[in-house]
Amino acid sequence: MCLSSALVGVIVFLRKRSLLGEALSHATYPGVVLSVLFMAIFFPDSNALAPAILVGAFLSSLLGLWIIEKMERRFHAKNDSALCLVLSVFFGLGVLVASRIQFTHALWYKTVQIFLYGQAATMTNIHIFLYALLGVLLSGVLIFFYRQVQMTIFDRDFSGTVGVPVRWVDSFLFLLLVLAIVIGIRSVGVVLMSGMLIAPAVAARQFSHRLWTVFLLAAGVGAFSGFLGNYLSVELPQWGMRRGWNWNFSLPTGPMILLSASGICMLSLLFAPRNGLCTRLVRILRFRKQCLEDNLLKSLWKRDREGGVLLSEVKKWQSLSFLQMLFLVWRLENQGWIERTDSQIQLTKEGKSRAAYIVRLHRLWEAYLVFLGQGVEKVHRSAEEMEHIITPELEKELADLLGDPKRDPHSQPIPSKEETL
Amino acid sequence: MKKKIALKVEQLSVNYDKTPVLWDICCEIPEGKLVGIIGPNGAGKSTFLKTLLGMTRPISGRIEFFGQPYRKVRNRIAYVPQRSSVDWDFPITAFEVVLMGRYGKMGVLKWPNAADRRAAQHALDMVGMLPFADRQISQLSGGQQQRLFIARALLQDADLYLMDEPFAGVDMATEKAIILLMDKLKVQGKTLLVVHHDLSTVDNYFDWVIMFNTCLIASGSTTDVFNSEMILRTYGRSNALLDEAAKLTQSKTSGIK
Repeated sequence: MCLSSALVGVIVFLRKRSLLGEALSHATYPGVVLSVLFMAIFFPDSNALAPAILVGAFLSSLLGLWIIEKMERRFHAKNDSALCLVLSVFFGLGVLVASRIQFTHALWYKTVQIFLYGQAATMTNIHIFLYALLGVLLSGVLIFFYRQVQMTIFDRDFSGTVGVPVRWVDSFLFLLLVLAIVIGIRSVGVVLMSGMLIAPAVAARQFSHRLWTVFLLAAGVGAFSGFLGNYLSVELPQWGMRRGWNWNFSLPTGPMILLSASGICMLSLLFAPRNGLCTRLVRILRFRKQCLEDNLLKSLWKRDREGGVLLSEVKKWQSLSFLQMLFLVWRLENQGWIERTDSQIQLTKEGKSRAAYIVRLHRLWEAYLVFLGQGVEKVHRSAEEMEHIITPELEKELADLLGDPKRDPHSQPIPSKEETL
Repeated sequence: MKKKIALKVEQLSVNYDKTPVLWDICCEIPEGKLVGIIGPNGAGKSTFLKTLLGMTRPISGRIEFFGQPYRKVRNRIAYVPQRSSVDWDFPITAFEVVLMGRYGKMGVLKWPNAADRRAAQHALDMVGMLPFADRQISQLSGGQQQRLFIARALLQDADLYLMDEPFAGVDMATEKAIILLMDKLKVQGKTLLVVHHDLSTVDNYFDWVIMFNTCLIASGSTTDVFNSEMILRTYGRSNALLDEAAKLTQSKTSGIK
């Protein structure tokens, strides 16, 4: 169930209509309540409660969708206003009827409550079979029409011109959305359903640039969260009981599933290999470290003296604290860029090459800026930053463009390529 | 010798909510021409293209491509939409975008085969984007994105190309490359309709122009109709009264004050 909602959630997410899922899931509630009431009044002994609720939820969600479209088209309401209105009015109606049922058909009220936050524990084989079937149908259909779906979401106008029936695809995708929501509300609940649409999609998007990978990952996250949520909602109270706490209740599955999914989503936003927040932080820190090292090596190179330089002197050039400087020096020595004799430090051969390379980039950039017409006094600042950033390809292009210059705008020698190897 | 007509438009009128956007447009475009569609902002240039392609419904008029209605010759027409109409954050690579050019010719349940992929690579090469084939589209510059669209259109192997502002927000090098491609297509006998916004380059690029500002001002070869008098009529204020009249019509018929 969570698998199919995750798949459809990717589509909704990519179309930037995430709130639609929220509105439509809340719109299922009156359908649920009314169909329970209907069955309670007319067929109290029937076994067909589950499918009846499915149908009721489906119809009322479709009604909500129709009203949203009508409000936008005919009455020119803004999208978020229409969504808000449908969400609150439908949900409010459902709550109204439900509170009445609480007294008139008290036993049936419990069934209705299940759909608010989901509950997997009381699902029977019929439920599982039904939902599994619908889930497989949904996934199959998506695979079948993958190309059309991809095209329509990406470039609607173009798809229309090559003969894709975009209106049909749109309606079809809306239907899939309603279906996925209706399948999912039994285990996730009406209130939290939209989270199950979006969280797997967001998590998956962090990891891939290809649509089918995003679909697969989202499905995986959805299925996994579903499993984890169900497991936790049963196991957690038991774990509490074993500890001797009075946890004699069962957690509703909806929140547990959603917490699992959101947890995975958070982790992916933080740690995704390409764009995760923490990954980026690490990269930024590494870059800063490289800049500090570069600057120190550069200073040593410029004051090229035999016998090396005293540590205390080095402290004067850089604006670092004593501890930071010690750490920096230790690291550079470790990596083989400088060597230490007593309290004096000196560049190694590799250190000289690296420093010469940075100076070369710095002075090439200055020459380039002056070539473009900037004043000689202003170029130093920019070069201080660019020397850490210029790639070898860019360096080659600069050298080619400027004719491999030997002097920079300040008449200082530019280290040749050989010096830097 | 009968001249072959690529596009014939008769009395085309398009409204947006009771406001006329196109009014009584009639024109004929012969095959094998590079046509510039010129007009101020809001003149209906994009709407014109969209109506030709059936995306907007006109309130009156007839459109014929190569003497036939659109749906019969759909495979011979390629559309290059405005860059802004697409979501560039979508997870798709440059190669996959170009491959879409073949989707129209494939059946409903078929998948692209090796020949399709080869053709897509060739098209990418023609626009100079082969090294970027696996790049996510959000990482491309404006000019590169435009080239992708052109490559996709090339893959469609059409006889008529409709392009909506292909030079908007594009660097000089890309613009030159696109124009070269267009000339190559013209030599092959294809017809190109290009919505264009830069008057200074019209003489250089196009051999046929359509100028309109809600109604048609002129349509003909560049040497014949692209002169200062026509430009003044297209961009001048004499059409402002038309706008005013249109607004009045709208408020009267919809009851809004």
